[in-house]
Amino acid sequence: MSQTLNAIELVGLTKYRGTQAVLRDVSFTVPRGQVVAVLGPSGAGKSTLLRCINHLETIDGGKIFVEQQLIGYREEAGVLYELADRDISLQRRGIGMVFQNFNLFRHVTVLDNVMAGPIHVLKMPRNQAEALARGLLERVGLADKAGAYPNQLSGGQQQRVAIARALAMSPAVMLLDEPTSALDPELSQEVIAAIRRLADDGITLMIATHEMALARDFADRVLFMVDGELVEDAPGKQFFSAPRHERSKQFLSRLSAH
Amino acid sequence: MNPFSSKQVAVTRRVVHRRQWGAWLFGVVVLVLLGAIVNAGVKARVLDPVIFLDYVFSRNILIGAGNSIMLGTVALLLAVAVGLVVAIMRVSGNPILVSFAATYVYLFRGTPMLIQLIFWFNAFPIMFTDLHIAIPFTDIVLVNAPMTKVITPYVAALAGLSLAEGAYMSEIIRGGFLAVDSGQRDAARSLGMTGSAVMRKVVIPQAARIIVPATGNQYIMLLKSTSLASAIGYLELLRISTDIYAANFRVVELLAVAGFWYLVMTAVATVLQTTLEKLYPHR
Repeated sequence: MSQTLNAIELVGLTKYRGTQAVLRDVSFTVPRGQVVAVLGPSGAGKSTLLRCINHLETIDGGKIFVEQQLIGYREEAGVLYELADRDISLQRRGIGMVFQNFNLFRHVTVLDNVMAGPIHVLKMPRNQAEALARGLLERVGLADKAGAYPNQLSGGQQQRVAIARALAMSPAVMLLDEPTSALDPELSQEVIAAIRRLADDGITLMIATHEMALARDFADRVLFMVDGELVEDAPGKQFFSAPRHERSKQFLSRLSAH
Repeated sequence: MNPFSSKQVAVTRRVVHRRQWGAWLFGVVVLVLLGAIVNAGVKARVLDPVIFLDYVFSRNILIGAGNSIMLGTVALLLAVAVGLVVAIMRVSGNPILVSFAATYVYLFRGTPMLIQLIFWFNAFPIMFTDLHIAIPFTDIVLVNAPMTKVITPYVAALAGLSLAEGAYMSEIIRGGFLAVDSGQRDAARSLGMTGSAVMRKVVIPQAARIIVPATGNQYIMLLKSTSLASAIGYLELLRISTDIYAANFRVVELLAVAGFWYLVMTAVATVLQTTLEKLYPHR
């Protein structure tokens, strides 16, 4: 294949919180199907970066494209105007998100969680949505938990349901914000396995993580951030074997010291 | 042979727990005092049970009780609607809406309900003597009546109770909204739900689990607060009871009748509340 289409493209993304810049002029492109790990110390802006990509956070400069579509804004004569709620919602349908704290809807069953998107957003008929949801639960190995409530599941199981819930919208891109940070190592493994299947299926993934195994084992590429700045952008293996930037080296040496 | 079985321990026949002698002693004192009061009451013939039974199921009393339940229930429904709107204003983040909502709550929660009822019945028709509603830029007049005709005791009581209660409800509903963590909203939005869908499908159903029990309490309060409407001449339970004893001087019996029906109302409301709570378990 010659020129692959870009799934995500960021151009000079800048965001402030008050007077503090939390993202400074971040630019990169992610081709379709690539698995990108976003690494960096706490407060580097990894989560904010992901939350900007589906416009859960507003931006103060630059542009974000997902599947060639300008996210959250329309541009007129060099000015970005924030889109209406309805239009942003439409854009978010194609961008799945998985959260550190799972954020499953507490008041409904696992099955209803996975069906929430298809039913309430896509207005899919209930029996069709249920078939889809049961298939996805099967895929993350939780078919038997369909009738359970989120608080009856372990953290790892909850996160797998959250992945199934995001998949139910058939997103082109998935953003995973610290998907294993709230889990103990053993439970992390089952979530990592579920994420690996997403990667194998060719879904474009951006994973903000502290879990080095996740980044090292199957990220095609590492984006390393410090203080809201993209410091190093390297293929996964190269980042771990031969980091170029001083901050990357420090970060990795501190990790290996553990 | 088991070495432990040879060491024979006498089989325990029963276990006697320590008694709270102090509490039992105090309980006896309470019973004695209670007996003395009941004895004094019976000797003094404070309440004629025959008259109590004559009135407790009498037509007018039942009508009054029915009016109280109607007034309290309709006022609660209006208060929930008002409270929902005010709570949404309060969390909207818009400075005008937020200050309006905060001021409303301060005024209507901060003044006695009785004053508010009297205000709607007596002061409001003085401030606005006529009610005139017409469709603008046309000659069609929908309502044109003197305010004193429009503001009946029922309307004034309903306005007073539901607006005052709406202030309490808005705080309860706001508390329910705040208890739904922002992650739930983020997750709903990330699926592509619009703002109103997030509210209807995620925030309100979760907030309801906190709001419902508190609302049950408010309903009980409101059913009793309908007695305030007696001050503006609405023929609810207390007003009818006082009207009767004003004629026959059976003050004790009629107050007991009124009290009896308020107890019945609150008992039913409590059962209703418990049922609703079971319907929406907190997770």
